[in-house]
Amino acid sequence: MCEPSQRVESFWRLTLPWMILSTICVAWMCIWMSDTARGDPHDPVFDAEVWAKIGERTCLRCHNPQGEARETEFILEKTVDRFDDPQILTRNRDAFESMAKKVHGDQSVLLQKVVGQLDHGGGQVLKPESTGLKILERFVHQTMSRAIEPILAVKPVFNVQNDAYKPIPFFHGVTMLSASRLLRRVTLSLAGRLPSDEELKRVEKEGLSAVDSILDSIMQEEAFYERLKEGFNDIFLTVGIEDNAETLLSYDHFEKTRLWYQTHDFSNLPEAERERAGWKLAAVYRDALLREPLELIAYIVRNDRPFSELATADYIMVSPYTARGYGIYDEVKGQFKNSEDPFEFIPARLHALQARDGKVQESKTGLYPHSGFLSMFHYLRRYPSTETNRNRLRARMFYQHFLGVDIMQLAPRSSDAAAVAAKFEIPTMQAADCVVCHKTLDPVAGLFQDFNFQGELGPRKEGWYKDMFPSGFEGEELPEDQRWRATQWLAERTVKDPRFPIAMVEHVYFILVGRKVLQPPEDIDDPNFSGKRRAYLEQRRMITAAASRLKESGLNLKEAFKAIVSSDFYRADGVASVAEHPERQAELDDVGVVRLVTPEQMERKLSAIFGKPWGRFQEEYKILYGGIDSITVTERNADPSGAMGAIQRIMANDVACLNVGLDFHRPAAERILFPGIEPSVVPGDESSDQKILETIVGLQEKILGHRHRVDHPEVERVFELFCGILGDAKAQPNYEPRETYFCGGREDFRVEDPHYTVRAWRGVVTYLLRQHEFLYE
Amino acid sequence: MSRRTFLKRCGLAGLGFAAPIHWQSVLSAPQTSSETAGYPGPYYVVFNASGGWDTTYLMDPKGVDGINRLYQQGDILTVGNHRIAPIAKHIESGMSNEDFFAKYGPELRVIHGLDLSVNNHTPCARYMATGKLDSLAYPTFPALVAACHGAQAPLAFLTFGNYSATGNLVPMSRVPYLQSLRLLARADSVEGGTHAYQDAFVADRIERALEEQFQSRISNARLPRVERSQSMLYAAQANSKALERVVPFLPKEPSKERLPQQNDIALAAFKAGVCISANLSIGQFDSHNNNDKDQMKLIPELLAGIDDLLRKAEQLQIRDKLVVIIQSEMGRTPTYNNGNGKDHWSINSIMFLGPGIAGNRVLGGTDEKQQLIPVNAQTLECDKVEGIRIRPEHIHQALRELANVQDHPFSQRFPLEVPAKEKLQRLWS
Repeated sequence: MCEPSQRVESFWRLTLPWMILSTICVAWMCIWMSDTARGDPHDPVFDAEVWAKIGERTCLRCHNPQGEARETEFILEKTVDRFDDPQILTRNRDAFESMAKKVHGDQSVLLQKVVGQLDHGGGQVLKPESTGLKILERFVHQTMSRAIEPILAVKPVFNVQNDAYKPIPFFHGVTMLSASRLLRRVTLSLAGRLPSDEELKRVEKEGLSAVDSILDSIMQEEAFYERLKEGFNDIFLTVGIEDNAETLLSYDHFEKTRLWYQTHDFSNLPEAERERAGWKLAAVYRDALLREPLELIAYIVRNDRPFSELATADYIMVSPYTARGYGIYDEVKGQFKNSEDPFEFIPARLHALQARDGKVQESKTGLYPHSGFLSMFHYLRRYPSTETNRNRLRARMFYQHFLGVDIMQLAPRSSDAAAVAAKFEIPTMQAADCVVCHKTLDPVAGLFQDFNFQGELGPRKEGWYKDMFPSGFEGEELPEDQRWRATQWLAERTVKDPRFPIAMVEHVYFILVGRKVLQPPEDIDDPNFSGKRRAYLEQRRMITAAASRLKESGLNLKEAFKAIVSSDFYRADGVASVAEHPERQAELDDVGVVRLVTPEQMERKLSAIFGKPWGRFQEEYKILYGGIDSITVTERNADPSGAMGAIQRIMANDVACLNVGLDFHRPAAERILFPGIEPSVVPGDESSDQKILETIVGLQEKILGHRHRVDHPEVERVFELFCGILGDAKAQPNYEPRETYFCGGREDFRVEDPHYTVRAWRGVVTYLLRQHEFLYE
Repeated sequence: MSRRTFLKRCGLAGLGFAAPIHWQSVLSAPQTSSETAGYPGPYYVVFNASGGWDTTYLMDPKGVDGINRLYQQGDILTVGNHRIAPIAKHIESGMSNEDFFAKYGPELRVIHGLDLSVNNHTPCARYMATGKLDSLAYPTFPALVAACHGAQAPLAFLTFGNYSATGNLVPMSRVPYLQSLRLLARADSVEGGTHAYQDAFVADRIERALEEQFQSRISNARLPRVERSQSMLYAAQANSKALERVVPFLPKEPSKERLPQQNDIALAAFKAGVCISANLSIGQFDSHNNNDKDQMKLIPELLAGIDDLLRKAEQLQIRDKLVVIIQSEMGRTPTYNNGNGKDHWSINSIMFLGPGIAGNRVLGGTDEKQQLIPVNAQTLECDKVEGIRIRPEHIHQALRELANVQDHPFSQRFPLEVPAKEKLQRLWS
């Protein structure tokens, strides 16, 4: 038995550490709780649970300053894309706490509203027993307890982070592309060429800082504008007009001019050629007409004009051919450098349109009220209307294209859409389920009221619909004296909207990366929800930073390209070690470009490497290889199917076939692929092996963009392939001493191949063309 | 590891790329059918009447209150348990309801009163195709079933239009023309002919080098996107060789009509065992103007297309392996608008036939206002008191069970969250 003094000592020895630990815990709790009570903006509990899983996803939809519930006392603010104001989260938390403390009967108003009680305008937004409701119940419990008892009485009730996962800086352990590989990526992506020696030297000397200024010069190249137009067509799809393009110009206003090609004078041609020449002229004219919207984009960017002109441009782009269609050729012909070039585009304005009955379009300026894409016949035709659609498709596309809002993306579920339709005389104005979207959508639809279903100028004879919310934008009604220029009125407001530069950056991101920006994670029960949300928020930070840069530059779109190219998201290339934790894996899930090269890009890439395009990705394999036709197929395949795998094999076989024998046929100094080796070089001695290895290194650099050392495993693998093929050939009873007819014989020569080396090199090139590094960006 | 096993695993690697994949997870993925024989069936075909069909001119006739203008209540026909709209005298081409139901009624299972909750094309198409209204991430049923049963098949999920999201489980294949398929099937021959680009030993060396490279990269630390895409790419190229099996089943003369063209490609791919599911589609059903004229042209075209598929499948001896789903993203209003058209209606119907589906049965219903009548999930009888509103998630839950993929990890990744008491019991029996 211990002595009393020993017992005391023992007591303190056992108890003291626990007391200290408890004191620390209580102190931490005090700090945490008092931080919370003070409104510390960093409230991870509220942010990760209540806000991320309920407030942002559910409540904010209506309870915002412009939303359907804006008249209520529960008003929240959007936090995403507002990273400059961390107090927003605090204000949102205060709003939640305020509602949590309100009691009706014996229960929190907040908890009753979310399940559809107390006449909640939004009905039931959380199901009983759902995770969301449980989170809210815990939050209410905590808030109520804190209101009744001092801070210390309250225990934290949320599991903020997965215990085993400690978040690290987002890009920690992610390796970035070297400056030279980044350069190759952007030159191939944006200009369809390989980096020049001079550019490579600059990058080697100056590092990443050189890429920014090299980008400036890349964005002067004509190839960049081809890529720009192609990228924006993937978004706007304005090339996708099914009818003959001259029908874009209405019969009512352009009857006398739109078919000008039919009376073109071909008397200088032999009679037998005139019909064919007429067809060609019509085809070129139609092509030029279809290009006009995208030429507007190219013009704005090329001339460093503010990209807001996408909506506000008070001009269109016309070529000598299309100007004839509009009937303004004589007015503008002096401005063309070459009036015979059907694809030379210049800005021009149309006069107020005159109909066949002589009536002239209302216009205070005497001009057609141009407003960029918003008043272009192409855009309006591409997104047509009907008697019941009432321009809502146009309004929807406006929100998606100009403000980055996809109204139909997460359509709120109506409790019974058919019953609602039957119950209300005008559901879109009276039924809460419908009003939530139509209050935003329909006013914008009304702004397009002067255009008919096909997108031609042609106001509805009966006047615009009375059973729709009045024309306007985001709560502001269109003044009557502005009706004649309604799309201009809309454009002025659009480009001032903070969502506009963000939407434009998202377009640039889509062009560069090949996929849309991340959406917030949907499943709050997903154990990796936090990781996915962090990835989403990190990307939003990058997007908003790029949007700020775009805005500061006066909306020069080139700055958006530069901002994204220089971002960690674009440069991420690998990881230093395997990310083991599922939450970390979720964070990194979308990081890196890793984009399947499109058919159009593939042609340019092949052309850049081999000196000529293959030609079959443009037409024959375009759709099969995941391309679009802008009409029925409007989204590119992101992943290769077996059919696409077969096309990759065809391409690798055929491109190698077309180029290897031909290259050896050239003088060594003119060769693209094999400048340092002859077909007579076979492995076996050190010097020959070295030449072969160096050739492999050169091929890998040219085709794949990797500069390996000769002892790199990938070089060794290719060397083994080359030697293996030769060994197998030797083991054959016999083989032809020349390349096949198909791989050389189709030209005006036939390559001798007594050692089988030409065919072995063809095998090597075929192998390289099937690599991930070649087929993906 | 044998080459065969390796290839199979690579094919599976193409499956699970919605979440970061590690080789270990690839190895533990469920095995599917024999790679040498190809996928043996059942094959899943979804016919989409894109734009929104008028169910009152097909399988849910209404002869009252001017819901339609072509027949009266007394004209409505009965074929077995099916009630159908009489349209034979109103059509110029294609197949009438009368002929279609006489031929296939004993096999057809029809569900009425399907509640879509919204009435816009995009969300409705997404909801019908995936069973999930409020997510862009969910795969369509044919994509899901293709992923679960054999993503290593080179054309596992064929699509010819309509909503075709894959949930990143399986690549979608678009093969619009028969001739294209012929070329792809002979990718290693010059112009799809008989002359190979490479001598056989060269081709074999190349494949082995690619295989070794892929294996060597498995252990490397990579970004999840890189890891997935390398697996996908390898699987796409390696599996594409199985397309050779399609050649004997390609018809000599391509069909001219829209659906038969799609049928030819899908059936050849099914028969060759290189395809699990196909999404077939014809559009222009969105009859806001002149509803009757449009629907009388398109419904017979749709029915004739289905008949074409089933007849050709019979010839290929795979008819008994075809599960056919016939749907549209929405119905049309019970009233006409000023343009003699009908607008969007959120109450819909859907039809099924195939192995495991007992025919000559009609479930659910709509009333004289074309409003749905709830269905008791246990008895499947109309039940205004205890019944539930059948929604696409209920149908998709049942479809997953029919295809025996309801417990597959890919299905679990995209849960439909149908409460147990709302699951439609014995829907297919």
